[in-house]
Amino acid sequence: MTVALSISDVNVTLGHNHVLKGVSLDVQPGEFVTLLGASGSGKSTLLNVVAGLLAADSGHVLFDGVDVVRRPPQKRNVGVVFQSYALFPHMTIGENVSFPLLAARRPAKERRAVADEMLRLVQMPGMADRSPASLSGGQRQRVALARAIAANPGILLLDEPMAALDKQLREQMQVEITRIQRKVGITTLSVTHDQTEAMTMSDRVAIMRDGVLVQVASPEDLYRRPADEYVASFLGEANLFPTRDGRICDDAEGSEGTAVLRPEDLVVVPLSEATPAWSVDGVVRLLSFQGTRFRLELATDGGRKVICSLPTSIDASTLVVGSRVRVACAAPERVHVIAPPVVREPVLVAA
Amino acid sequence: MTTVGRTLGWYRAPILLVAVLASLLLIVPFLILVSTSWTAGSFILFPPEGFSLQWYGEVLGDKQWMSSFGLSLWTSALSTIIATTLGAAGAIGLTRVRSRTAQRWIRTAFIVPIALPPIAYALGLYGVNMNLGFLRGTLVSLIVGHALVAMPYVFVLVSGGIARLDPALRPAASTLGARWPLVLWKIELPALLPYVLSGALFAFVIVFDEVVLAVFLLPIGMQTLPLRMLNASQEAFSPELTAASTLVSLLAILLLAILPLSNAIRRRRGGTRRPSAPVLEGVVE
Repeated sequence: MTVALSISDVNVTLGHNHVLKGVSLDVQPGEFVTLLGASGSGKSTLLNVVAGLLAADSGHVLFDGVDVVRRPPQKRNVGVVFQSYALFPHMTIGENVSFPLLAARRPAKERRAVADEMLRLVQMPGMADRSPASLSGGQRQRVALARAIAANPGILLLDEPMAALDKQLREQMQVEITRIQRKVGITTLSVTHDQTEAMTMSDRVAIMRDGVLVQVASPEDLYRRPADEYVASFLGEANLFPTRDGRICDDAEGSEGTAVLRPEDLVVVPLSEATPAWSVDGVVRLLSFQGTRFRLELATDGGRKVICSLPTSIDASTLVVGSRVRVACAAPERVHVIAPPVVREPVLVAA
Repeated sequence: MTTVGRTLGWYRAPILLVAVLASLLLIVPFLILVSTSWTAGSFILFPPEGFSLQWYGEVLGDKQWMSSFGLSLWTSALSTIIATTLGAAGAIGLTRVRSRTAQRWIRTAFIVPIALPPIAYALGLYGVNMNLGFLRGTLVSLIVGHALVAMPYVFVLVSGGIARLDPALRPAASTLGARWPLVLWKIELPALLPYVLSGALFAFVIVFDEVVLAVFLLPIGMQTLPLRMLNASQEAFSPELTAASTLVSLLAILLLAILPLSNAIRRRRGGTRRPSAPVLEGVVE
């Protein structure tokens, strides 16, 4: 079973904090969407509103078009994987996984069968009689996932699922969770502050900042065509330049927008040649070898920092600290220009 | 232990000395008392004259001693049940209270009986007993009074247990479809059971030993074991008394040993199946 999730104009105030400010988001059935944002951006709050653990001040949450905003969590049929996994310490793995069926008063035989099936799905067959205390972090996460989807919920919610794992295990579990999610075909909303995790796992990523969704797009779109400078510098490294007439200008005066040049799109060009459209001159500040790439840092005349990521096949002997070089975008079609923000007059409503 | 010894080096000598002296101070009088009970003579003397278990036979064969013991046993058991129910319910219920200020007040209210002087409390209850005719001559006020004295210990131990639980357990259970009765019976109570049990144990030991309330609230003609011992010590100083107190101490030691022992056995038998929460953990901290 899979469900379309629609969040519309949700507002949440906690104490004096306006945590969610009119958030709207549509998730297609079977889609994996990640809420990505710094801590305090409201992403976990939104997840709790969808789970029913937190009441929204206003707005609607629709599952397949049905408003569930007044339903308690017990009746929402969602599966949640908590950051701590929240495995019941006094129950066996099997009892944990089949707990949703116990809550639904299913017979013991069926519970046992579902627990075995789910544990096979998460590649932990035969572990039903062990205790949660005897498991490793990765295994606990698998059990938490198995328990969350055991009752065949319509929506899967993941709250910082990788936070408790070390880096190596994290990459492995990202692939693993995505595999299971695809196999089950369940609509999934995940929360993270790790951009690699968001990019790896999601069909679409929703960037959240100060209780507002800034941009919702596929990982590639977010990287190539960020909606604003925040998104551009939040995801990976970016060189941001003011532009005028399709060229980079070093001063912000009369700028028509902000060009986003990714470090790996820049190449060093000879100073003697006619200047290409997307180029900038600067003085070498630092050149470091990083194994697969060179990392070159320049300072422009206007004092801007430019970061280039160069292939190791180039001749680096000319890139001495203090020398003057010109870098240009190797693929001008990839340059994305962010339009300057439209200054909106606050809408005044006559009371 | 060895790592502590190694890192502290000879600096630990004074610490060890103080620890040994302190334990001697606690244990030696008890050992002397125990030894006086196996005297063959008829006075409390140290060193004891010879060896005989006559005074144990005397105590165990005495109808009055045994009826006091029985009375103490069943009233303490009842008080323990009431104290454990109230204390555990209070601690678990407190997690449902949203307002922080209210939480603080309720917490204080549950702990305050510890600070109340037993004599003042006993006098108050005595007044209640005198004014409510239907209570006179019954054990109701003693049992309830003892329960209230012991309840804070249960409350504190169970609260400590709750603080060690993952706060996400309840939300997790509710998103999995469990309503509150199921969450309470299948998640919270089982997870807190070791703390509830050690709370009950403490309540029992405290109530069994309590004498101030007993002096005021026992109906005429009835004596709990500690009260009988108190009276016996005022009348004649016979080894019967030290024999009785040895028996009571053994009972307390036995009780306190039950839970850790049962835990150890459980761990050895099926350690992988259920996690064994150390029962007296909360007490040690």
